Order: sequence, then structure tokens, then C-alpha cells
Amino acid sequence: MVSLARRNLLHDRLRFAITVAGVAFAVTLVLVQVGLFMGILDKATVTIQHAAADVWVTSRETPNVDFAHAFPETTVLRVRGVPGVERADNLIVAFMNIQLPSGAEEGCLVYALEDFRGWNLPWVVHEGDVRDLRRGRYILMDRSAERRFGPFAVGEYREILGRRFKIIGTTSGAASFTTAPITFMHYGNAQELSDVLRNRASYILVKTAAGADPREVAAAIRQVAPYNDVYTRDEWASRSRRYWVVSTGLGMNMGVTVFLGILVGIVVVAQTLYTSAVEHVKEFGTVKAIGGSNRDIYRILGEQALIAAVVGFAVGGLLSMAMRPVMAKLYLNVLVSPSFAAAVFVGTVAMCLGAAMLSFRRVAGIDPALVFRA
Amino acid sequence: MKEADSVLAVREIVKVFDEGNQRVEVLKGVSLEVRAGEVVALEGPSGSGKTTLLSIMGCILTPTRGRVEVRGQVVPMDRPDRLREVRRRDIGFVFQQFNLFPALSARENVEYALNVKGVRGAEAGREARRVLEQVGLGDRLDFLPRDLSGGQKQRVAIARALAGGPAVLLADEPTANLDTTVGTQVLELFRAVAKREDKGLVIVTHDPKVRAIADRVVGIRDGRLAA
Repeated sequence: MVSLARRNLLHDRLRFAITVAGVAFAVTLVLVQVGLFMGILDKATVTIQHAAADVWVTSRETPNVDFAHAFPETTVLRVRGVPGVERADNLIVAFMNIQLPSGAEEGCLVYALEDFRGWNLPWVVHEGDVRDLRRGRYILMDRSAERRFGPFAVGEYREILGRRFKIIGTTSGAASFTTAPITFMHYGNAQELSDVLRNRASYILVKTAAGADPREVAAAIRQVAPYNDVYTRDEWASRSRRYWVVSTGLGMNMGVTVFLGILVGIVVVAQTLYTSAVEHVKEFGTVKAIGGSNRDIYRILGEQALIAAVVGFAVGGLLSMAMRPVMAKLYLNVLVSPSFAAAVFVGTVAMCLGAAMLSFRRVAGIDPALVFRA
Repeated sequence: MKEADSVLAVREIVKVFDEGNQRVEVLKGVSLEVRAGEVVALEGPSGSGKTTLLSIMGCILTPTRGRVEVRGQVVPMDRPDRLREVRRRDIGFVFQQFNLFPALSARENVEYALNVKGVRGAEAGREARRVLEQVGLGDRLDFLPRDLSGGQKQRVAIARALAGGPAVLLADEPTANLDTTVGTQVLELFRAVAKREDKGLVIVTHDPKVRAIADRVVGIRDGRLAA
């Protein structure tokens, strides 16, 4: 069957290119903006996702994993006695100032445990052994620190809150949402650095026994720790994400940008299809004169919109993929899941078809008798 | 000799247009019948109602009063779907400005018309080739309209009108944009096709050359057929 839609589209290549560019712009904007958002948000829960903890015990109203408050470390003793708890340990999470060789100070986020390996923290170690942290004033520093702290190497020393620590290893992937790199040290060393942390912890990590339901275990822990909040891993991750999305306006910013991107796409497609419909009004009149219906013409416009959607999505998708290594150089991660990409494709098709429908009324009113006018 | 069947007839057609505060009666009771294989030339000055009459005969416009019969059947003018069906099945149009689809080749222009008429796939391709060869364009099948001469474009238009086997062809000033020689060739082609395919053919025209190929010349003045 002859596709008048496709042939008309390709006959005017400049207009087709403009239409595709409009769709591709919208698609790229949405994919990259949301991808960046998801990448940034991923940092908000990176330690929650990697830690081998099924339940987190926090102080009251802790808004997210980075902004911890301390509570008595003896609470862990009650938690360990709860049925369904296989293991529970105190974790300290605290922002501390680190002095750079230049004399400047920067902030880092210290994670301190007695036994890191049991909790899969850190999850990627390039140099050094996390077991050695207990042997002295040693730290493992994340490679993302190079961006803010400058280059560093294993064997060098850095001062944290006036105490000298030796860098015995490096990690990667461990950075907080605030971009402060994570530094791992032994639990006892962290408590020595700050009076606030003496005999106190920021979190209790809990591993549930095989077959135990984390939600039920969390509920049981709430009974023995009434002055704390208790979350399953997913609940805690969700809370942390929600804090950054809502309180920083990040979610609103992303929403507005996505909306504007979609609006641009609709306007460009609607404009080009409407202009095309007006320019081809005599052709559509001819279609009607030889026996075609309005539906035949709607089908032409719909097919053109679909072609623009598919080609525009492909171009936009390729552009988005091309931007990922560029963003990576800026230490930004563009995370686009297959399901989200599929959703954007469906949205693109809907957007283009919706734009095409704006022309339907115009073509429905075409009088076939116009074919007789010069 | 048996009289040829009536393929198209209009009976007592009145057409009134509302233009602002005025009512303009463009056709004032026109009756005309076209038989299979007959070539009828419809002549008249500008504003006489020729194109309006052609539009009504082609079921594109509806009359204020009167009736249209195609192949002996009255066409229900209050049913847009039936009018479309009649146009698809029984009427072939040839326009003054050709009205070809510029993005489609000669073959595709004819094929598309067949697709609209419900003929698809290889059958449409075969029929398109057949009618284009009939009008002498067998070697121009894949040419776009911009690469065809005026006469060739009009031949494509004729082929498109013929495709699907309509009972009647309606041509509106088909030679207006052609030079004398080419116009004569196109008119001869029209007549040959109408006679060979036993189609009724109505040509609205100012061109005196049409008289030479017409079986009957009908004049129209001020919305009435001239005696």
C-alpha cells in the first residue's frame, strides 16, 4: 500500500528534519534530565543499597542517611535480643573536616564500624584491606575525593579533626548525595574524634535471620527501642530519597524541566504537522474528492506523527547515550533504566499523536470542492 | 441498435448559495443525462454554473433541490458516506491543475487512488501499470510529477481517474494548462479511452477544440441549459 504519509514527510526533508529535531530535543531533555536526577538520587541511597543490612535503626526523625544524629550505643544490646535478628552492629556516620596538604579544610563523610566486611562496606576496594582499619589510625578514602581534595595516594597522611590518619587503601562509588566523599575508619577512632560520639552511635545495622520478615523484625525492634525510628532497607532508602526530592526542590525542578521538554516537543510537532496540513490542503481535498474519508486523512497525519516519534526518539536516545561519557567526566551519572526508556518512548508517541490531533479539526473542514478551484 | 445505458443523470437540479445576506441561485433547474461511451462537452461563460453542475454530478456538492442518478440508481444526497462511496466506485475526476500528489510517482499516484477505492497490494500495482500503459506512459511509471511535462501529468490524472473502473469521467477544464498541440492530444486520448472503456465522459470547457471530440455539446447560461 502506498504510504502518502511517509512520502510526503520525506519529500520535504527540511521540515522533516525540523520535526525530528523537535522530538529529539524533547526526548533528550527528558532522558538526560531524569537520568541525571536518578543518578544524583542514587547517591542518596548508595550506602543503604550496598550495605548488607535488612533493617536500619536511626535516631528520631533522621531525615536521610547523611544527616545522622547520635543516640546511646547500648541500644544495640536490646536490638540483638529481638527474635529474628541474626546480627546487629553500631554504625557511626558523621561529617568531619579533613585537612588538605595545602592547609585548606574540606568536609568528608566518615563511616565507622568495628567490622566492615560483615556489612559489605565499602563494596568496592581497589587498594588495601578493610580489616586493617582496626590496627591503628587508618582510613580508606574514596577516589571521588580527588575531585575535591586533590590527588592522594596510599601511604600518605591526612588530618581529620586534628588527628593524623594514614591512608591505607582506596575505594570507589562511595560518595554522599552532598558530594562529600566517604571515608572509612574504625568505630573506636571515630568516637575518639568527637565528644558528641563518645558512647554513642548514629545507626544500628541489623541483619535478619533466614526466613524472617524484615518488616516484622522492624516492628519488634520498635518495641525495644521506643526512642528510635526503625526502617526496613527499602523504607529507609525511600525516606532518604524523598527528603532530597521534596525539601531541596529537586523533584519540582525535574518535573518542571520534563514538562517544558514535553511542551516543546508538542509545540514543534503540532506546528510542523499543522503547517504541513495547511500546505497539503489541496492534496487532502483531492483525497476526499476521489472518495477518501476524514479518517483516511487522520490516518495520514497519524502515520506522520508516528514516524516523527520513532525517528525522533531514536535520535534523542542516541544523543542521550552520547552525553553519558561527557557527564561522567563531570562525575555525574545519567541513569536510565530500560523501563523508563520504554515509558519515554510511549510518552513520545502519545505526545506526537496528540500534536497531530490538533490538525484533525482543520482537515475535517476541508471541502473537496476546492479541488475545482484554480 | 440498443440505446446505451444511462451512467449519470441529473434531474431538475437547483443550487442556491448563501453569500452573506444574499441568496444566489447558481443552477435553476438543470437536467442532463450521460450515456455509456458518450462524450458530452459542457460549455459556458465564467459564472454560468458549469463547475457547480460538475461538482453536483460528481457527488461533491449537494443540490438544494433535484436528484442525481448514477447507473440508474438515485444517490441519497443527505448521506455523506454514500456520496463518498459513489465517488469511490463510480466517478473518475480529472482536474484543471492535475492535482497529482507531488511526492508520489506516476504509478504511486494511480496506486494510491486504487488504495482509497479499496484495491491493495499487487492487484493495485498491476491495475496502475495497465491504465498508465493505456494512456501511453508505460515508460514513465516511476517519474515524479515534477519530472513530467504538462501533457504527461494530465495523462497520469486520466489514468488515475480510470483506475478502478468508474462508470463516468468528469473533467474540469482539462486542457486549460496545456498548449494547443498537447491539449489536442489529451482530448483525443480522452475520447479514445471513453469509447474503448465505454465510459460516460463530461468535459467542462472553454476550449473550442473540445467540440471536435464531443458527441454532444451542451451550453449553460445563467444556471440554465441553453436550448
